[in-house]
Amino acid sequence: MTDHRSRAAELYRQYGPAVYRRCLRILKEPEAAKDATQEVFVKLVRDMSKLEDRETVLPWIYRVATNHCLNIRRNAARRGDDAAMPELEVADTTPADVYPDRALAQQVLEQCDETTRTVAVGVLVDGMEHEEVAELLGISRRTVARKLDRFLETARRYLARS
Amino acid sequence: MTARCPSDLSLERFLLEPEASPLRPHVAGCTRCTARVEEMRRQGEDFLRFVYPATVEAVEEAAARRPLFDLARWLAPIPALAAAAAILVLFRPATPPDDYLGVKGGNTIGLAVFLQGAGGPRSARDGEAVPADAALRFKVRPSRPCRLWVVSVDAKGQVSRLYPTEGDGGAELLRTAELPGGAVLDGQPGPERFLALCAPQPVPWSRVEQSARAAMAGSAEMVRLVRTVPGLPAGTTQDSLLLEKKP
Repeated sequence: MTDHRSRAAELYRQYGPAVYRRCLRILKEPEAAKDATQEVFVKLVRDMSKLEDRETVLPWIYRVATNHCLNIRRNAARRGDDAAMPELEVADTTPADVYPDRALAQQVLEQCDETTRTVAVGVLVDGMEHEEVAELLGISRRTVARKLDRFLETARRYLARS
Repeated sequence: MTARCPSDLSLERFLLEPEASPLRPHVAGCTRCTARVEEMRRQGEDFLRFVYPATVEAVEEAAARRPLFDLARWLAPIPALAAAAAILVLFRPATPPDDYLGVKGGNTIGLAVFLQGAGGPRSARDGEAVPADAALRFKVRPSRPCRLWVVSVDAKGQVSRLYPTEGDGGAELLRTAELPGGAVLDGQPGPERFLALCAPQPVPWSRVEQSARAAMAGSAEMVRLVRTVPGLPAGTTQDSLLLEKKP
């Protein structure tokens, strides 16, 4: 049970549930979440030393899973396959006037870089504090606030244009 | 979620170590968080029941391919060493034999669980789904002599004493051994973890039983996640294997 395969299987058993839950949260569909979980973990086992670091492993796998699933959503949208994909739910800690239009925000999300997407999803979908998102991404709280402001500003511009 | 409720990421940390988590009082007293944690646990069980068995092979394959790439990257500036390392990797045995009990350097113990099948006994894989009434045998490989206990813990917190079945303090184990007797699973579906505990001195059964029960907390999720039993004497080495009992 000590070779790489077995160790990877152990770590998958330990952290796979967290990846699966994250994928389910973003993709909503169990079958899509299952496929995404496997794909994410195949990426994660390329860096076993990070998977073995109990202090930092959760934020890392959360970030990788989030980006992976948001890419899946973006690619589905580009292919026009996103009609059947349920919308991301907005956290109820987010005031309605901050997040004016879900579908529009989804469009804006698809235009953003990975960090901005993770900030926006972390704060607006997951209801995370700015500090927690900063820790997740290894950036400052000020950067989180700045990226969120930029995301919302872009969303408002899209809204005004539409 | 209220403004004070922890995020999913924080609840993931909570789920890994609920007993030690600073979130425990909040989760216990918050209806919303309790419900979310329960939902997350159910999703975790779905993962272990449906997703893990269907996808673990792909993950194992990816891990098996990984060392060569890593070595090449790290040793790239030293071509001769890189080549030597690559040769070592390429010519090592691809997979261990069925009864291989991996024991690294240092003080360790390896545990193998064998299932009785139509074609004879075969080694069970960690997390494997097996008939709920399967017959098992055990093999252990210590890196040094010790006092051995082999126990199992199920989702109800039931700790079963598998070896030795009599006496107290654990059996003296000098070398690799296939253990006499064996065990027959109880027919109840759910996870059951099997542990080999190899202590430098005799450990009373009562302490083993109490520590194992406390570690798994009578929960299926904990039986699946917790791989070692804390609270045993310093120098105790452990190995464990999980079986999913299916009706």
